[in-house]
Amino acid sequence: MRCRSVSTMAFTSVLLFICSIYSCYAQVPLLMWTSGGSNMPHLAQPAAGQTVSGGQLASYLKSALSGAPHNVLLFLQDKLIMEDFTMYGGVFGNKQDSAFLTVESALQASSSPLVLPALDWSASHSILELFQGELGIPAVHINPNTLKEIKLNTSQPSLLAVHLPYSAGVQTKESLLKNDAIIGEVLNVFKSQDVPYTAVYTGLKPSRVIEETPVMAGRSVGRSLLQAPPQSSVKPPLVVNNTAGRPCILLWADTLLASYSGKQDDLAIHIFNGSADTAGSVCNETLSRLVINYQNVLDLRSLRLIFSMRKIFFPVSARNWSVVEQVVLEYDGQRAIFNASGGIYSPAEYSFHCQSVSSIQSPLLVPRSATDNANQWKLSFTDFQIQGFNVTGEDFSYASDCAGFFTPGIWMGLLTSLLMVFILTYGLHMIMQLRTMDRFDDPKGPAISVPQKSGEIISISPLLHSLFD
Amino acid sequence: MEWMMNGHAILYTGVTLAFWTTILIVGICYTIFDLGFRFDVAWFLTETSPFMWASLGIGLAISLSVVGAAWGIYITGSSIIGGGVKAPRIKTKNLVSIIFCEAVAIYGIIMAIVISNLAENFSGTTPETIGEKNYQAGYSMFGAGLTVGFSNLFCGICVGIVGSGAALADAQNASLFVKILIVEIFGSAIGLFGVIVAILQTSKVKMGD
Repeated sequence: MRCRSVSTMAFTSVLLFICSIYSCYAQVPLLMWTSGGSNMPHLAQPAAGQTVSGGQLASYLKSALSGAPHNVLLFLQDKLIMEDFTMYGGVFGNKQDSAFLTVESALQASSSPLVLPALDWSASHSILELFQGELGIPAVHINPNTLKEIKLNTSQPSLLAVHLPYSAGVQTKESLLKNDAIIGEVLNVFKSQDVPYTAVYTGLKPSRVIEETPVMAGRSVGRSLLQAPPQSSVKPPLVVNNTAGRPCILLWADTLLASYSGKQDDLAIHIFNGSADTAGSVCNETLSRLVINYQNVLDLRSLRLIFSMRKIFFPVSARNWSVVEQVVLEYDGQRAIFNASGGIYSPAEYSFHCQSVSSIQSPLLVPRSATDNANQWKLSFTDFQIQGFNVTGEDFSYASDCAGFFTPGIWMGLLTSLLMVFILTYGLHMIMQLRTMDRFDDPKGPAISVPQKSGEIISISPLLHSLFD
Repeated sequence: MEWMMNGHAILYTGVTLAFWTTILIVGICYTIFDLGFRFDVAWFLTETSPFMWASLGIGLAISLSVVGAAWGIYITGSSIIGGGVKAPRIKTKNLVSIIFCEAVAIYGIIMAIVISNLAENFSGTTPETIGEKNYQAGYSMFGAGLTVGFSNLFCGICVGIVGSGAALADAQNASLFVKILIVEIFGSAIGLFGVIVAILQTSKVKMGD
């Protein structure tokens, strides 16, 4: 009993916690019927959606027991919920698959069964005590196997409680079928002894807590296309702790592809499945070095991938910047060094994120010199995020992305197009301002006559002559 | 406020208002979200290609010079043609004004050709690999183009207005023309200054690897 009460307390506290965040549907259905031949007073069914509380249940029971037989059978399943009837009750036209055939036929045979679809689970939990109080007798817990030996006295009220197990998951249907068979056996025993009974089938706890998530929970509740969303890898970031045990470097990447002498490997897999370790990482106020040690990748005995970051104060922007200076690969006694200070930087308070950090395409990683070993390596990191300073906890700070809102190409295009649009506007404005001179227009005066003399036709060469003399 | 009833004025006011409002709101948002570091002039100047600046310089050199020449010629030409109706003798002499305006356009095209000859290929793609000389080349070519373009623009307008006055004065009194020509020569010298400065700006340009 003690372990049951402990588990009940645990369940209650969890339920209260969940229900304090969301409004919970923690209700249990209750079915009550009498044996064929005996009558239960007709009781008003609860309104749709109404949760029946303990007090209401007590009044229901009082009025029910005033006319029903006082041999009460309590079938108390460990857990029950309305959705179990929906899922396993053969309600979609497949009556033959139902797991509640006995209960259904008993309900139909009864004259006026009482169905409470939503009973507060605290009331159903204490239903034993309720009946005990109503009938004034203690409950007798019976084992279905030993039922045949029980002799029932019809003159005195009796209260028998049968505990039915419940298993969640894939065995739910089987356990419900077994319970249904047990109920059938018990009812048959009663029928064979010709004892009128009142039967109650309910659960002590809801089998699942249906949480009603508020609409404004922050997640999108919009419609989605029929295609299932792609599985996104939800691995947590790699955390490196400093000597005081607090996290100080965070790294996450979708893939860290490295190619060397014809072989290629994704180094991120080894990080996130735990086969690579971060021994040798250092972090202090101005320097963070993330060292990842690999064994037996790319046919190399040992490989170390080192990100070295520095916190530098630049006076023009007057703030601290975290700059990834070098990405170093140490393998089999050799070193390949990529310079990354040109592109991998972010304000020191934020993390750096870039969809593609590579040495091949629009490279952010360039070999330190033309003769460096780095020229034999090809690195390509996708969805790369790193933070070396100001780490508080295991989540990244705001990610300063390597891609701005406008790319350089967009800026160049905008500049030239806006310039040309401005020129066009200016030209259009001037043209639309052209007006014919109308100062000397005199609609009532005589028309202008231009004197026409035949000697006025001028040829080109006399013109030039007159210009230069 | 009758000029405000003009559709053009409403359009220009609206566009200007929209532009400055956008700038203001974007600036305020960047400031309050502590994203001011994203406003990076150095990033803009180093990420945009030097070729864009060079090409803008070449284009502006010729186009602004041509605008200046065209404006001047249209002003002078209208006056010469108009004045020539009543005093046909002015037509021949006043073509000098037209030629001064045209010279401005010639300065522009010469500078455009000179500047465009300086553009060479380079193989860098990142700010470090492009190198300072290429950036300097791009900006110098842009500056030279702007210099020669704007000087020629205003020179052309100046010569045009002076030439128009000269034509009309000549139509009234033939002895006035020679004196006014001196004013025109001073006006035309400014275009030449622009060309000289542009040549100086591009003298140090060395684009390439």
